[in-house]
Amino acid sequence: MSGFLEGLRCSECIDWGEKRNTIASIAAGVLFFTGWWIIIDAAIICPTMEEFNHSYHACGVIATITFLMINAVSNGQVRGDSYSEGCLGQTGACIWLFIGFMLAFGSLIASMWILFGGYVAKEKAIVYSGIAVFFQNAFIFFGGLVFKFGLTEALWQ
Amino acid sequence: TKWSLVCESRSASGQHTCSAGVCIRETALISLSFGGAIGLMFLMLGCALPIYNQYWPLFVLFFYILSPIPYCIARRLVDDTDAMSNACKELAIFLTTGIVVSAFGLPIVFARAHLIEWGACALVLTGNTVIFATILGFFLVFGSNDDFSWQQW
Repeated sequence: MSGFLEGLRCSECIDWGEKRNTIASIAAGVLFFTGWWIIIDAAIICPTMEEFNHSYHACGVIATITFLMINAVSNGQVRGDSYSEGCLGQTGACIWLFIGFMLAFGSLIASMWILFGGYVAKEKAIVYSGIAVFFQNAFIFFGGLVFKFGLTEALWQ
Repeated sequence: TKWSLVCESRSASGQHTCSAGVCIRETALISLSFGGAIGLMFLMLGCALPIYNQYWPLFVLFFYILSPIPYCIARRLVDDTDAMSNACKELAIFLTTGIVVSAFGLPIVFARAHLIEWGACALVLTGNTVIFATILGFFLVFGSNDDFSWQQW
């Protein structure tokens, strides 16, 4: 009874060796672009402003900008062990990353607010566009996290 | 021998991989081109069948043409082609995945917007799968050369 879970360990069955960076970038690409296609679909299905207020696109745009901000700075630049410091230096890289993560969390929370405040609380008949905004931002956020933390710089040497 | 002369004339780098008198590169090239033809056939069926007769799905051709470009640019820019990982290569894989997702998303969005029928969408998605498998196979077979140079084309 105590040993039956030992066969379910999966950390050895996935070969996290040299393929890790490729798998992480593929997963991040699928998540990020699926998020955008969800909102494109919602914008096409609900073209009027009362079904889908098109100013809610701003949430996804900010999320995309934060994706680019977070991934522009490598972990090595923040730790200070990269050869070239870039134009901002180590402290600048820390601040850039801080602002990037803050905006990323902010856009995720804003998308939840849009869903619950703009659609569920107002008891709109068509909630699909609110769900689409939420899923767009969630996918972009997790795609950014996977791209940032899934790539190991140890494989770059 | 005859088959070695045929193989040497085909591979510009001087290396020939032949087994049982049939060039592996030749076989791969023929089967990949067959795959490409079948994929494009599915795409054209999705557009041109009389019950559908909508040519909107031809926009995925744009994504087919775009999909090898990030990886080719990354291969050209990166000096060390032996290194398995590199920031440029990861970005190229990310963009390529995005282009593939977009090529699958576009017919689905067309079908949900009632521009095309769901049957046409299914045919186009099948064609997408075959074409992207063909492009992937092309890179796996012909892309992994030690000196990847454009003179080979």
